[in-house]
Amino acid sequence: MTTALSVRNATKIFGAQVALNDVSIDVEPGEVRALVGQNGCGKSTLIKILAGFHAPEPGTEVTVGGEPLPFEDPVSSEAIGLRFVHQDLGLVGNLDAVDNMAMGQGYITNGVKTIRWRKERKHAREALANLGYDINVRIPVAGLQMSERTAVAIARAMSDRGSEVKMLILDEPTANLPNAEAQRLYKLVRRVADSGVAVLFVSHHFDEVFEMADSVTVLRDGKHIVTRPVEGLTEEELIELVVGRKLQEHNKDAADAREHGPEILKITDVAGGSVAKLDLEVHRGEVVGVAGITGSGREAVAGLVFGGMERGGEVTVDGKVLPQNRPDISIERGVALVPAERHANASLIDQTLRENITLVDPGRHMTMGILRRRPERADVRIWLDKLTVKPAGQTEYTMAQLSGGNQQKVILARWLRQQPEVLIMDEPTQGVDVGAKADIHKLVDEAAAMGTAVLVCSTDHEELVRVCDRVVIMRRGRVAEILRGNEITADNITAATIGRDANEPTEPAA
Amino acid sequence: MTDVQTAPAPGGEETKPRRRINLGFDRFSGIYVWAVLVIIFSLWIPDLFLNWDNFKTILTFQAISTIVALGLIVPVAAGAFDLTIAGTLTVSAVFTAWALLDHRGVVFACGGALIVGVIIGLANSLVVVKFKVDSFIGTLGMSSILAAVAYMISGGGQLVLPEAGYYPFLDFARQEWFGISASVYYAGALALLIWWILEYTPGGRYLYAVGGNPVAARLAGVKVGRIIMLSFIASAVVCSFAGIVYLAQNANGAPDSGANYLLPAFSAVFLGATQIRPGRVNVLGTIVAILLLATGVTGLQLAGAPTYVTQLFNGAALIIAMALAARTARRRG
Repeated sequence: MTTALSVRNATKIFGAQVALNDVSIDVEPGEVRALVGQNGCGKSTLIKILAGFHAPEPGTEVTVGGEPLPFEDPVSSEAIGLRFVHQDLGLVGNLDAVDNMAMGQGYITNGVKTIRWRKERKHAREALANLGYDINVRIPVAGLQMSERTAVAIARAMSDRGSEVKMLILDEPTANLPNAEAQRLYKLVRRVADSGVAVLFVSHHFDEVFEMADSVTVLRDGKHIVTRPVEGLTEEELIELVVGRKLQEHNKDAADAREHGPEILKITDVAGGSVAKLDLEVHRGEVVGVAGITGSGREAVAGLVFGGMERGGEVTVDGKVLPQNRPDISIERGVALVPAERHANASLIDQTLRENITLVDPGRHMTMGILRRRPERADVRIWLDKLTVKPAGQTEYTMAQLSGGNQQKVILARWLRQQPEVLIMDEPTQGVDVGAKADIHKLVDEAAAMGTAVLVCSTDHEELVRVCDRVVIMRRGRVAEILRGNEITADNITAATIGRDANEPTEPAA
Repeated sequence: MTDVQTAPAPGGEETKPRRRINLGFDRFSGIYVWAVLVIIFSLWIPDLFLNWDNFKTILTFQAISTIVALGLIVPVAAGAFDLTIAGTLTVSAVFTAWALLDHRGVVFACGGALIVGVIIGLANSLVVVKFKVDSFIGTLGMSSILAAVAYMISGGGQLVLPEAGYYPFLDFARQEWFGISASVYYAGALALLIWWILEYTPGGRYLYAVGGNPVAARLAGVKVGRIIMLSFIASAVVCSFAGIVYLAQNANGAPDSGANYLLPAFSAVFLGATQIRPGRVNVLGTIVAILLLATGVTGLQLAGAPTYVTQLFNGAALIIAMALAARTARRRG
């Protein structure tokens, strides 16, 4: 049996940085291999070399089923038998499965180039049935479940109209899937492998490694660390291999612990977006963090709690209900939201800092039906000073004239000016320089000291360690773990976010 | 303001260079161009151009355009197009003429026309806010419906007010104070009102916030749907008022009464957005733009240019305004 994929001495250098350093791996037909590592470890680079997007350094040799890969372009990679499914799947949502599968491979036509729809549909249904899916191929794929969409993308990739498929390469295949659908996908991948095709998948998600893979390759800093069977490997060992050291037991200073006031924010049974169920209470003066990988529900928590999107369940502040989809009422009840992606969700980029800061309550300096500019400016200047926005005191600058960190401070000023009871922050220091980041963290401390309940959703684990009294870990839409006191370390958070749920079924009977 | 060179921000933190403040060729370019036009025409055709009657004609003739443009500013500030402005003017003029000819009295006629305006505004917001149709398409469709309504009311022909019987109503626009037509005062008063709303009330802030970033505005507690609805109602009521003034000026309402007001209003509002407060539609800029356009068109006509020059001038101005706005946006990016 020829090796499906053989990579020898793969090296790739970008400028002064060695992205991939002499990596050699082999994958056999029918094998499912996981490729894991931290961001920047070189796994994307390797995939892009295989896909024909990057040419590697001379000396690199790749063969697919014994034939050498020419490193030319995506077309030649496909011709030799490699197939790729990227994380976004590359489907057109408003087209049905038949049309999506015909993209790239073309339609079956008769002599005058008329599409033979019946044959085309039959073909699509068969391809999906081979993967264990029975899907209506005539509805737009946007109406399908996530795992069904993934199946359509995989079925398209597995099409052999061009050349024989030797290897399927998946990027984060279950990242956005709830647990039940992920289980369905594991079976699908197994079917693909059983048909004799090799599977390589990139993953940040350790449960899919343990559920799906036969073997795992760990990359770190561009180097090949180990390739070994999954059997006999524990999660702790795998995390250590990925991180490269023993997880530290960091002691958070006990004096750090803040005195908390009474409970103020109560979240009961909240569901919506990627969150399946969330229950949480936050006390006055407490800073609670929410961590989780993308797709875990973390990214939806802030919007759901604030009432910026549709949701089920109940959120109360001081016993008063926050209705869904009514940010205005949430604000009235003393809640503030510093959303993620400030350009899209928070900034009025062409308007002045003054207008940006007073947006929530512009009428504060109104007398006799006229907004008074002078007191408004004075008010805004106080906040610009308090948050050390640079350049100092420029109330009439537009947002566009500030750096990212200062823009974020302006958004924070908008909300601190409201003296909120509950402050919700989503990725508060995204795209913010180090100095501004430290300032923002200090402001969070100060707000909590004043009795504000703070909820911080973040992918920056160091940040959570810095500001939080308690960190809630989200996995697959639910709270999986809660870290407190000296359990809160960046390593612990990382391990918990990618960990496998003990209470989830490990081996679904096939 | 003086010329300020890019200075490193205090504290050493890197910021984008601040926009250079210059002598105002940017913000006040319209006024300079206007002055140049006045000088050219004064030298070219002094007898025709430089006289009080001509000045009066320009003002009177532009009063209705100004009112329509003022109405349009409001939804555009909130990021919505309103293509029903001309249709609303037409329906209002035709309705008022019909009511007066039917001897229903001035109060019924004018009050009714304003209420019709409110209804049109509500219908527009139903389409745009509730049904979530893009405002350009939604109001385009509505404008066609309004054309049909105007046709139904008028029966397709002109509704002419025999001047003998309706003098008190016609005086509404035709009387003069200090030698200037009443309609000019109405336009002035409305300009003041809308300027106050946009610049000095929370409502104005909300309008610009919704126009600037509706997602951010919503998350900051602004009731985006309601703001857009109010902006459509405002523009429709203002345009209904323009219809009443139109009828009083012309003593006749017909299904094509408003046809010539759509494009000039858009030209003025978007050209105005490059003036005074570049990057946002504003009242003063719009008025500068209207003066500029009116002076150019009238001057050319007095100098013997054919009538189609009006359309040529307005169309070109709209395109130039949008191109300038795009350039401003790029430079600020």
